[in-house]
Amino acid sequence: MATILDLHSHSEASDDSRAPVEAYLNWIRLRRAERPIDGIVLTEHRQFNRDADYRALEDRFGVLVLRASEVETDYGHMLVFGVNDEILARFDFGDVHLLAQELIDEVARLGGVVVPCHPGRPNVGLCEHYETKSPLENIVAVEMLNGGSRKGENERSAELVRRHGYRAVGGSDSHMVSLIGLCATRFEAEVYSIDELVRELKTGRYQPIDFRPHRPTPRRATPAAAGSE
Amino acid sequence: MAFDQSLVGKEFEATAPVTVSAEAIAIFCRALGEDSGRYGRPGPDGSIIAPPSFAVTFRNTDAFFNYTPRFGRGFDAGKEVEFIGPIHAGDEITLTSTVREMYEKTGRSGTMTFVILRSTLTNQHGETVAHVDHRFVHRNPGQGE
Amino acid sequence: MSTAGGKRFEAVEIGEALGPHEIVIDKARAREYAAACGMDSGRFHDDEAARAEGLPGIIIPGNFSLGLLSKLVTDWLGAGAGRLKRIGTTYRAMVFPERPLALHGFITHVEPESRSVEIDVWIENEDNERLVIGTATVEFPAGD
Repeated sequence: MATILDLHSHSEASDDSRAPVEAYLNWIRLRRAERPIDGIVLTEHRQFNRDADYRALEDRFGVLVLRASEVETDYGHMLVFGVNDEILARFDFGDVHLLAQELIDEVARLGGVVVPCHPGRPNVGLCEHYETKSPLENIVAVEMLNGGSRKGENERSAELVRRHGYRAVGGSDSHMVSLIGLCATRFEAEVYSIDELVRELKTGRYQPIDFRPHRPTPRRATPAAAGSE
Repeated sequence: MAFDQSLVGKEFEATAPVTVSAEAIAIFCRALGEDSGRYGRPGPDGSIIAPPSFAVTFRNTDAFFNYTPRFGRGFDAGKEVEFIGPIHAGDEITLTSTVREMYEKTGRSGTMTFVILRSTLTNQHGETVAHVDHRFVHRNPGQGE
Repeated sequence: MSTAGGKRFEAVEIGEALGPHEIVIDKARAREYAAACGMDSGRFHDDEAARAEGLPGIIIPGNFSLGLLSKLVTDWLGAGAGRLKRIGTTYRAMVFPERPLALHGFITHVEPESRSVEIDVWIENEDNERLVIGTATVEFPAGD
C-alpha cells in the first residue's frame, strides 16, 4: 500500500514559521479530499529537535509525523533524514557553511540520507552551484518539486533531474498551516518510521506528487483610482 | 557573523515621548486605505484610535546601528507585533528596545545576518500598548551584488 | 461602539477564506505611506535612489504590507467585539508598486477555550507567488 508524505515542512521551531504541528495535522485531516497525505516530515532549519514527541498528535489525528532537518552547505540547502546522535556529534547543524560532499557521505555512513532541496532556487540550490563547481557524488535523490518555489525554479530542478538522472521527491516547504501537503512524495511501499523512510529513499520507488490547485491565468494590473481599494 | 554578537541582550535608552496627533492618524489611515470608520475618526466617547498597524511606525532601529557600522544593503525581513492596547490621538508613546537575537542563514540573496530588535511601546500612563519584534536582514560583506 | 454586523466567534470556521482582495498600489500611494510613517529612505520615494541601491525602482515598505494584511483581518472582523491580537509577517520578496497584488487569508485554527482564532495571511503577485506570508491571531471576548 502506497504512502504519501510531505517530506519538507517547518513548524514554529523554525525561525521563519509560525505553524504549530497540531494545526498542520488538523489542516491535513480537514483537507484530506484534496491532499490525501499520510504524514509529514518536519525539516526544521539548522536544528534537530531530538526530544520532540508527536505520538499523541499522531494518534489523535491519524497522521504520521517524522523529524528531519534542513541544513545549509556550500552547495545550497539540504534535507537530512535519519538524524541520530552520531550525525549530530559529527556536524554542527547551526553552521551555515557545511561541506556538502562531506555531509552526504558521512550522513550515509552514519545511517541517514541527505537530499538537496529546492535545487532550482538561486544561491541555495544545486543548479546554480553546478554552473561553477563539479557535481556532487552519491546523490540519492533531489527535491524536484518544492511548494515554495517561484516561477521557473521547479522547472530548473526538473531539468537538473533529467540531465543527471537523479531520483526525485517532492515537499511543500511549508511555513504556514494552509500550505502543508501541497507537494509531497508518493512511496510505493508503506512508510511508518524514519528508518523505513531512509530505507525507501535509497530504493528509488517513489515519485513527487503535486496537489497544488490549478491556477487561473495570472491577473493583470488594472489602474486603481487614487485612494480606492 | 557580520555584527558583534555581544550586542545580544543590549538595551537601548528609551526614546523621548512622541505625541500622536489626530492628523498623523488621519494621514496614516488615508495612506493605508483605512476607511471603515472604526479608526481615525472620533468614536462614541470622542477618542480617536489608530489602526493596529500604526504601532510599527515607531522604530528605534537607528539605536542599533549607532553601535555597529552599517554596510551593504539592509532590509526589513519581517515583524512580529503584539497589540496590547489601542493607541489614541493625544497619547505620548515611548519606545524601549533590546537586541533579542542575531543569527546567520543563507538564502536567495546569499549569506545574511538577521537581527531581531524588540521594541516595547508605552503610553503616558505607563501602559504597554504593543511589542514589536523588528527582524531586519543584512547581506554579509564580501558578497557581490 | 456598536457591534452590530461584526464577526462573531461562533460563526468562525476553520478553512474560511479572507479575500482574496485584489489591489494595485500606485507609486504615489507608496510614497504617501512611507511619508506618513516617517520613512525617508530613497528606496521608498525616488526611483533613481532605489536604482542606486540595485533595485529596479521604488519598493513598497514592509510595514505597508503588514498594514494591508492587518486591515484584511480587521475588515473581516468588522464592527464586532473581536480584535486583532497579534500579527507576524515574513517578507520573502520585494513588493513593487504598480503591479497586481492579492491579499489572502485562511482561518487555520479555532481555540474555544481562549476564544481565539489563527489566520494564515499572505500577499501574492501576478504569478501567484507569495511575496509576504504571515499569521494573525484574533480574539473574541466572552459572551460575544
